[in-house]
Amino acid sequence: MSYLEYRVTTVPHGLRKVLHFNWGLLLLLAAVAGFGFLMLYSVSGGNIDRWSAPQMQRFGLGLVLMMIVAFVPIWFWRNMSVLAYGVSMLLLVLVEFMGATGMGATRWIDLGFMRLQPSELTKITLVMALAAYYDWLDIRKVSHPFQVLLPLILIALPMALVLRQPDLGTALLLAMGGGAVMWLAGVHWLYFAMVMLAGVGTVGAVMASRGTPWQLIKDYQFRRIDTFLDPSTDPLGAGYHITQSKIALGSGGWTGRGFMQGTQSRLNFLPEKHTDFIFTTLAEEFGFLGGISLLSLYALIILFCFASGLRNRDRFASLLTLGIASAFFLFFAVNMSMVMGLAPVVGVPLPLVSFGGSAMLVLMIAFGLVQSAHIHRPRQGGR
Amino acid sequence: MTRTPLRPLARILQARARGENPDAIERENIRIRHERMRDRMRLRAESRLVVLALAFVMMFGAAGARMAVLASTEAEEPRAGGVGPAILATRADITDRNGRILATNLVTSSLYAQPPLMIDPERAARELAEIFPDLEEETLRKQFTGKRKFLWIKKKLSPEQQQGVHDIGEPGLLFGPREMRLYPNGRLAAHVLGGAGFGREGVHSAEVIGVAGIEKALDVQLRDPARGGTPLRLSLDLTVQAAARRVLEGGMKIMNAKGATAILMDVRTGELVSLVSLPDFDPNDRPVPLLKGDPSDSPLFNRAVQGRYELGSTFKIFAVAQALEEGIATPQTMVSTQGPLRWGKYRINDFHNFGKELSVTEVIVKSSNIGTARLAQQIGATRQRAFLDRLGLLQPVPVELVEAPAIHPLLPGNWSELSAMTISYGHGLSASPLHLAAAYAALVNGGTRVTPTLLHEAGRAVPGERVISAETSRVVRGMLRQVVQRGTASFAEVPGYAVGGKTGSADKPRPQGGYYEDKVIATFASVFPAHDPAYVLVVTLDEPNITALGETRRTAGWTAVPVSAEIIRRVAPLLDMRPEIEPGDGFGVRLTGN
Repeated sequence: MSYLEYRVTTVPHGLRKVLHFNWGLLLLLAAVAGFGFLMLYSVSGGNIDRWSAPQMQRFGLGLVLMMIVAFVPIWFWRNMSVLAYGVSMLLLVLVEFMGATGMGATRWIDLGFMRLQPSELTKITLVMALAAYYDWLDIRKVSHPFQVLLPLILIALPMALVLRQPDLGTALLLAMGGGAVMWLAGVHWLYFAMVMLAGVGTVGAVMASRGTPWQLIKDYQFRRIDTFLDPSTDPLGAGYHITQSKIALGSGGWTGRGFMQGTQSRLNFLPEKHTDFIFTTLAEEFGFLGGISLLSLYALIILFCFASGLRNRDRFASLLTLGIASAFFLFFAVNMSMVMGLAPVVGVPLPLVSFGGSAMLVLMIAFGLVQSAHIHRPRQGGR
Repeated sequence: MTRTPLRPLARILQARARGENPDAIERENIRIRHERMRDRMRLRAESRLVVLALAFVMMFGAAGARMAVLASTEAEEPRAGGVGPAILATRADITDRNGRILATNLVTSSLYAQPPLMIDPERAARELAEIFPDLEEETLRKQFTGKRKFLWIKKKLSPEQQQGVHDIGEPGLLFGPREMRLYPNGRLAAHVLGGAGFGREGVHSAEVIGVAGIEKALDVQLRDPARGGTPLRLSLDLTVQAAARRVLEGGMKIMNAKGATAILMDVRTGELVSLVSLPDFDPNDRPVPLLKGDPSDSPLFNRAVQGRYELGSTFKIFAVAQALEEGIATPQTMVSTQGPLRWGKYRINDFHNFGKELSVTEVIVKSSNIGTARLAQQIGATRQRAFLDRLGLLQPVPVELVEAPAIHPLLPGNWSELSAMTISYGHGLSASPLHLAAAYAALVNGGTRVTPTLLHEAGRAVPGERVISAETSRVVRGMLRQVVQRGTASFAEVPGYAVGGKTGSADKPRPQGGYYEDKVIATFASVFPAHDPAYVLVVTLDEPNITALGETRRTAGWTAVPVSAEIIRRVAPLLDMRPEIEPGDGFGVRLTGN
């Protein structure tokens, strides 16, 4: 059922929207962000001005944006989807030409007051565009080969631009996030099976080609794979981050060393300690308990989105909510796997916790969309 | 799927009959169909979501389990390794027999540049040229602004230089750790140690390999990671080596010699306590080898091992020892010294005219060529050759120096009777001073073969193959002692140490044939104390000459002998030898108390 089919008069309006706003979700988000403030305070060695205060300001700004987005009806955002996708593509192209370079990659546009990272924005606009596409598409045609092609292009376009930056991590997240929306929209499972088979086949072929005359990738790339599989072969080189963060997790133990007591992360063993590898600090200082607590908060956020998305009979709202939840899950799942050595090191921040403006604001806007979908969901008995 | 028609004819007709609007039926059916479709959608979406949720739960589980595993493990420090362990392994130290360091490793840095990383190549070039005066600013600037992505600037840096480069603050100038070989005693044992250089080189490490001497000969052993850093212990004694080197250097200057060597060897074990060759070099900074000219003029040339000389009269004792051993003569046997001794067109003369005949003892004491040649005639070429071979004079010395195996003594092509006669007094066969020392050690130590070694090994004292009987050895020692007491080596007398020995002064051969009139190799092979030998000392001076008593003297008695005596005087106390009163009997005839 599309919003065109239900009467908007049954949807709360005016100040009544505040009553339908999901305050529980807001509380969960604030709790996760609070973990982030604590950790940033800790890794800066007790200097609140270095990372914590700016992060709090951004969270505050994010809250305001979230409220604004949440109280604007979801059908407005549906109509904006294509525009948002177009704008984010434009920004990605702009990065290509006039982006600011940092740490060997060109990912940012300097806006003066902040450095915008369009690839972060794309993670959400892609989900929006795909949700709108499947809302528009006749449900009986979702598995039609031609109708599958368009969403694939929608995914491939930003992926290609992001890969040029280069940012493998974000490109993979885009692919998986888009794939999740397609899955939820009901695209036939054979497509997914084919993609998976192709992926497994490619990996198998690459690994089998090692040492043969038709070797598919370079030797040094094989060595990187080796390092991922066994970081101890190169503990000071490519395996450095992983080894150090494993040490941090190990030294944290079950209950941690205590707040501000982490040595591994605070003694500068980890270069990305305030961004991608902040989880190590948490695990070291609060141990297994702290890590599981954060994991549970994330799980609750996802659970809320799933519940809301499942109950929402509006297809766009439902797909958007579930898609954002999936993307959010992928963010922290990839980050945690990376930190714990379950996945190769790709630069993916821990959502809402890692230091970083664009990611924080974009996520808050995304949850604003979730809230909007929740508030403006079609009610029974309106007809 | 069977589609229910939206307007089933039967119901429409019934409705028409009842007067109802048949469109209501169609609307109702559309509504039902929509609801069914929505339900199917819902079901599908839910099952899709369940699958996704299951995947999520699995990932949550994996993350949680992994976290638990990591939390329960002990934090483990990683160990650097795996990146070429052979390169990272430290080269073993080399020490003297008492454990004093002769060669060790020093961690320093190498300097390289990555021009693409440079911020200000001009400034880097300028400031580098200030720190390293041997670098050209212009060349550096060209290299830094050119296309090269990587270049070495310095292989080894001093800490001051490294700090200076640090202070430039140029990110394109990078350091790599380097382990370099350090010889803290400089020139002291240069020829024994040889030196080391870099082999395969990388940014993070470089291989240190021996390039000469024992460093190269035992390179594999020194680099063996299984060694675990156990130092290589040499037989050299640092103090003795220092004293011997100092005296020899002074002696070389006084005697105006262009080169000199001294070898001090334990007569029983063959351990070399000191081995000096002059001129020498600093192994920390090895000079480049000579590309043209005589390699023996280079300080790298080890005269003790690589120098092949006709060692002159020092060889006479071999002929006499063999004659005694084979019963051809006794010390009292009279040998004709009527000169000149003619053999074909050759004439053999003595330095002085010794009259009609001398006893065998006197032949050695007075150093008579004719007398020795007559003994050699009786021994014969074949047996002489076999005897010298058993003393190790015909093969390279198996000492632990990389230079040694290539040094084959120069033998006559045809070992004729004439060759036997000339070789008996040390001409026609060129061997190294180390050969001579080993042969003398065998003669005086009771008669067993000695293999020279540079390694300190306690179990080495097992006697070698017997060359002469203990009795012959005793007689030979007595003769050598008398050479010092009343013969050609009277300057060698060091009170309390009973030095015995034999001089040898051989004219140097001209490259174009024949011999120089005024260039000699003066050698003194000595043993002390003569009645119970502990050490053999061979001193060889290359082209010595000294003016004494109004004459230019070149013979060993005036040159090598006093230098040897001074070395023994200095070194014997360092070897824990106390001056002693030698036994007065058992040395045959003693004519004077001088």
